[in-house]
Amino acid sequence: MNRLIITTELKNLWREKLTVAVLSITLIFAALSFYNGYQFSQAQHAVIDIAQQEQLSAIETAQNSLTQRLSEQGSIKWWEDIYDLRGQAFYLMVNYATKPPLATAPIAVGQADVFPYYFRMLISEKQNVVQQYDYVNPLQLLLGQFDLAFVVIYILPLLIIGLSYNALTQEQQTGQLRILLLQGINPQHLLKNQLLVRLSLVLVPFLLCSNSLLLLSNKDFTIQNSLIFSLIVSLYCLFWSYLAGFIVSKGKSTATNAAILVACWLAFVIIIPATLNTLNGAANPTPSRIHYVDSLREQADSAKKASEKTLAKFFQDHPELASTNDNPSDYATKKIATIIAIEQAMHAFDQAFLQIQDQQSQYAQAFKLLSPATLVYSALVDFSGNGLTRQQDFMQAVAQHHQALQQFYKTQIVAASQRGDFTPCRGCNARPTLKDLTVIPQFKNTVNDTSPPPWSLILLVLAIFALSLKTNQRVIQIGSAQSQEVRV
Amino acid sequence: MLMITMKKEWLDSWRQGHALWISLIALMLLLIACVTSWQSFQVQSATKSAVAQSERDRWLEQGEKGPHSAAHYGVYVLKPELPLAMVDPGLRDFQGNVLRLEAHKRNDTLFRPIQDTIPMQRFGSLSPSFVLQILLPLLIILVGYPAFSGEREQGTLKQLLASGCSSIHLFIAKSAALFSVAAIVLIPLFAFLLYSSISEQHAQVLRSALYALSYLVYLSTWCVMVVAISCWLSTARRTLIVLLALWAISCLLIPKIAMTHASNQYPIESGQAFQSKLESEVYTPERQQAIAQFKQETLTTYGVSSTDDLPFDWSGAQLQFGEQYSDKVFDRLFGARSEQLNAQFQYYQSTALLSPFIAIQTISMGLAGSDHTHHHNFEVAAEKYRRVMQQTLNFNQRDHAHKATSHYVADKQLWQAIPEFVYQPPSFSLMSGHYLVALCALIGWLLFSGILGSYSLYLLRKEVQR
Repeated sequence: MNRLIITTELKNLWREKLTVAVLSITLIFAALSFYNGYQFSQAQHAVIDIAQQEQLSAIETAQNSLTQRLSEQGSIKWWEDIYDLRGQAFYLMVNYATKPPLATAPIAVGQADVFPYYFRMLISEKQNVVQQYDYVNPLQLLLGQFDLAFVVIYILPLLIIGLSYNALTQEQQTGQLRILLLQGINPQHLLKNQLLVRLSLVLVPFLLCSNSLLLLSNKDFTIQNSLIFSLIVSLYCLFWSYLAGFIVSKGKSTATNAAILVACWLAFVIIIPATLNTLNGAANPTPSRIHYVDSLREQADSAKKASEKTLAKFFQDHPELASTNDNPSDYATKKIATIIAIEQAMHAFDQAFLQIQDQQSQYAQAFKLLSPATLVYSALVDFSGNGLTRQQDFMQAVAQHHQALQQFYKTQIVAASQRGDFTPCRGCNARPTLKDLTVIPQFKNTVNDTSPPPWSLILLVLAIFALSLKTNQRVIQIGSAQSQEVRV
Repeated sequence: MLMITMKKEWLDSWRQGHALWISLIALMLLLIACVTSWQSFQVQSATKSAVAQSERDRWLEQGEKGPHSAAHYGVYVLKPELPLAMVDPGLRDFQGNVLRLEAHKRNDTLFRPIQDTIPMQRFGSLSPSFVLQILLPLLIILVGYPAFSGEREQGTLKQLLASGCSSIHLFIAKSAALFSVAAIVLIPLFAFLLYSSISEQHAQVLRSALYALSYLVYLSTWCVMVVAISCWLSTARRTLIVLLALWAISCLLIPKIAMTHASNQYPIESGQAFQSKLESEVYTPERQQAIAQFKQETLTTYGVSSTDDLPFDWSGAQLQFGEQYSDKVFDRLFGARSEQLNAQFQYYQSTALLSPFIAIQTISMGLAGSDHTHHHNFEVAAEKYRRVMQQTLNFNQRDHAHKATSHYVADKQLWQAIPEFVYQPPSFSLMSGHYLVALCALIGWLLFSGILGSYSLYLLRKEVQR
């Protein structure tokens, strides 16, 4: 019986031109959105490759030109000398911290177009380093990217609604349902199969197209990734399909069903997320960056004005560096001491931003349950590695790398200063103090688990289950002999 | 007859409870959006004024130091906002509001608020412009889709027309009733525009008036289009689906696809490539040569053999020469990037012919001064100020440093000689050229909806004759 219903349903849908349109739209959008997401992640890969190449070539150049530098007799400015620790630390170092996109990145660009994914490291205040960003057209940021996540969240539900809003009700309105019931067709089976066929028309081509493209474009995109992606998308689409079933089971007219379903789409996809964001922002306001600039400026001024005091504190904190220091006021040591003092003073301000971001995340985590769109979007963004968790891990790694570099330079610079390498004699060049650039700490990439939290998907499953239960109850009523719903 | 028909349509709208509910929900959303925007705008404005003042104080009180040290110390300038940015924040959160002006460098604006947000924010938040541009057309669709097709299905359309009501009167009355429902939602916006025009110190009446007018045209377009399509199609169901598809394509799909295409068509370099170019093209051997040549020319002009014999301080003159050399590179590189960005915006604006949303979005951001064109205007003004500032400091070094017996230091007198950076967003009449395509497109959409209405009426008359 099921096979008969499915075959008849497929034939009916095929006769409507709409079906071909839906199929074409799904395939075109899947391919286009994949292409955009892929292009975006490739562009990031290219930037990271260039940065790493630049870093390697800087090391090579230093290796190859060392002999020439050692024999140089003319005047050399230390801030232009790649073999000078101070020049490297403050101006010339080519040292990048990068976050390469994952194989799943084309799925959802998420915040990847906003969050920095590479940093050129220098010995400067951490606050200045981490504020670098890649320039993207701001209008593009406002509108968001046309990626697979956009198609999944916004377009697929509309297509499912467009196909499913008249399931069962059309038969009911035209009087066919009575005849079908008399022929022994179970209305539950009829509705279930109708929804399944219509859902498959949207979901199957989308998954086939997007998964094939994802698998073909990147060898690191595994079958497991493909399964997780398919599971998330399928659950989301199933939710919309069951919601359509739930609405049509009320037995209203097709126009009313369409209006209710569109209102649900609007509420879940547009209004609830936007309202939640507004309320989240109002409940957990981000501290002002303008105030932050003001504080940074003030702290920098204080640290610089008290540079001798700052330096004394620096040596107090690092007695191992002060033991034989006979030139405590040299420029580089003073500069590093000032940087550390500013960073320490700004720590509380930085923490305030992190804290509020955590609060906003917690709020979003709690309230994203109100909409399947927010639930699935955050799952897709996390899965693609372009979410907040991976970014926070990256920023933490950048901060640690910054610390490692600072530690390296401060030790080396103080030691070189104590040896008198910077001023071997009056008027002569400083001695090369950094002959091998490979000794500079390099940034290590960390691989993070980006699987979406299973509980968010379980919630979606529960919602689908609840909808299916309620729909079944209603449809059973339609099929019962006493029902008033099936009058012709 | 027209008045009677209008009254009937208005009563019909209110008797169908959903018009009232939908309007109330939209009104509530707009009020929430207005209140949160107003709060954030007030806080931002107060913060900006306070920080700008303390930055100026810091500059003046920086103490005695060499002019070039002061040039490196630099200043931070803040981009002021027009009151209209409260209703349309546009690109505010995506392009930063703080700019550091210092020696040897031209910086991009810092601290884009979007960087401090969580990924969920990309769903957008309830700003008044979001409600007006995206949600209000939906309200119009949900209230207006059965205007003609519903009556046709119920069989009342023929009765109405048979009772002597002309089809054109009916069309106008239905459009007017729909527009009046949408206009209720506009009341808070108009009240705000009026208030800001009266109370603000730098009120821009032209901007406010045009802003109100643009939204009236935008909403009229949607109202006429909805009634026309309802008149054209046979069933309410089909009308609703077609209108919702139009809305989704116009407000969600076309803008995203157009912008993505514009970015691919006119790509801009990555930040990494841009920075590398800046470094490699400013500090070149050619620059060293140019400085050497300048030195030689200066020595020849003054008939001396050493810079020590010049009647001014050579380092100040050299610093200014270096700045001017770098400025040319900045103009070229930043100019090229700016051109690409502009091409992207122009391309996007041209797609307003495909979507009325793009037309109103462009005009609205332009009028609110929250788009990239105004941002660029601010950046250009700030860069001009930076150059004047550097020149003043370098010339001071050039003209006075040689007179000092030891290391030359300047004092508050010099810092005061550099005026405070005061930026006033330009008047709209100066900027209007940037939005001509969008303005024409918006008017074009209104005309198109009129043509669509006429065609639907023609079909209706034929239907009645049959």
